[in-house]
Amino acid sequence: MRRRLSTEPEGTEINVSPLIDLVFILLIFFIVATSFVNEVGITPKHKDTATSSANLEDPLAFDLPSSGQLLQDGMVIGLEQVAPLVRSRASEKKPSVLVRVSPGARAGMATQVMDQAMLGGAQAVKLSPLTQ
Amino acid sequence: MRGRARIIESSETDSINVSPLIDVVFILLIFFIVSATFVTLPGIEVTRPLAVTGKALQKNAVIFALSGENEIKYAGSTVQMEEIPGLVEQASRDSGKPVVIQVDQWADASVLAKMVAEARKKASEVSIATRKPRA
Repeated sequence: MRRRLSTEPEGTEINVSPLIDLVFILLIFFIVATSFVNEVGITPKHKDTATSSANLEDPLAFDLPSSGQLLQDGMVIGLEQVAPLVRSRASEKKPSVLVRVSPGARAGMATQVMDQAMLGGAQAVKLSPLTQ
Repeated sequence: MRGRARIIESSETDSINVSPLIDVVFILLIFFIVSATFVTLPGIEVTRPLAVTGKALQKNAVIFALSGENEIKYAGSTVQMEEIPGLVEQASRDSGKPVVIQVDQWADASVLAKMVAEARKKASEVSIATRKPRA
């Protein structure tokens, strides 16, 4: 009588410890794998439906020739002048900015110009390649 | 009779009931499996350009990289400019994933502009990965 009762719980119960081990390993794997890429960046928006076509016809254009300079309306300007220029244009209307890049211009420079234009309150920033 | 009750009581108390624990762990596991986003990384590390207006981008994105040698990288291999729209479409499978371009600051800007234009054919949102300047 006593012997039967003592063996009974061992015989009917399934050992769940390996299952829990496995499930915990899977759980930890998925927790670690979930948020893997934390990227910071800028999103140059153009062809925005909210902007009128008339606005896009007259963009504030910046040129990046292969020499590494930054030109606006034929004049060499500094990177720190981009935001004030966009801001002065923004007093009338939200300007759209066009960054024209020549082959040989640096991507870092182009990104910084777009960044400064966005800082100045540009609504649409477009990056366009300039073919020779 | 009295002896039998004592035996039952002791067998109940000396093993902890693990069923609710397993339930909770399974729910957590299913939650993490469903919410897991497996992003294919381009396979190279680039020096991102500095930008002050950079915002946190969506994690679940199609990532391309443009190296300093003007090579376009996707999922560990070099791809051609013309392959970009196809790859974006294949990767996002009409779930409308945004595209992130990791660009090296010394890469050619005209190649970047063409990449943005190509990616825009299939994605509504194309971002350029930047880094925050040290304060």
